[in-house]
Amino acid sequence: MEIEIQLTDTPIAAYLSAPTSGVGAGAWVEFRGLVRGEENGGVIAALEYEAYSPMAETEMRRIITELASGQPCLFVRAIHRIGIVPVGEAAIYIGIAGRHRAEAFALLAGFMDRLKQDVPIWKRRALTATELAELKIK
Amino acid sequence: MRLLFFAHLKDITHCAEMNLPGGDMDTDDLWCKLIEAHPGLETFRASVRLAKNSEYVGRDARFTEADEVALIPPVSGG
Repeated sequence: MEIEIQLTDTPIAAYLSAPTSGVGAGAWVEFRGLVRGEENGGVIAALEYEAYSPMAETEMRRIITELASGQPCLFVRAIHRIGIVPVGEAAIYIGIAGRHRAEAFALLAGFMDRLKQDVPIWKRRALTATELAELKIK
Repeated sequence: MRLLFFAHLKDITHCAEMNLPGGDMDTDDLWCKLIEAHPGLETFRASVRLAKNSEYVGRDARFTEADEVALIPPVSGG
C-alpha cells in the first residue's frame, strides 16, 4: 500500500486526483474536515494549528499501516494544515483508494478516530475576525 | 537532553524548547527536574504523554543526554 503524508501551511487544493497507479481500485473515498465558524460557543474566523511535525508524520503513517492490516487498501493520502486556517477551509484531507468501499470507509473512520487521540497536532487558538484581519495587515 | 514543549505548555514554560543537563534518568527523575525548572507543569503531569525521539514512551522509559523528549499534551488535530 502506498502512503502519502503531508503537513502544509498552505490551503489544500480544492481537487486532488485519485492515484492512477491504483490498478484494481474500485473505491476512491475522500474526506475533508473543515474549520467551523464557532468554537466553544463563540464565533470565530480561523483556527491556528500547531504540530510536532516529524512525530505527527510518523504517527499518521504508523496508524494507517496498523489499520490497513485489518482493512487492506491500495493507497492513502493524508494532508493536515498547520498555521492559520480560516473558517470554511479544510484543516485535513484524507483520500483512500480501496478495492471495495467497505474497507476504504472503515480505514477512514478508524484513522480519524486515532488521529484525534494520538497524532501530535493541536488547535493552538481560535481567532476572531478582528484578530485575523490584524494578522493579515502585518 | 533536548526538551520540546507544545500548545498550552509553551505558555507555562515561555519557551518551545530547553536543554536539560544530566545523564541517564527515568520518567520520575525527568518530571522532578521539569517541575523544578517550571513549577507550573505539575498541574499538567497527569494529562501529558512523553515522546522520546518522536515515539510515545511509557512510565518505564529511560532517557539519556542524547535524547529529544517531547511533552505531548492532549492532541486536537483534525
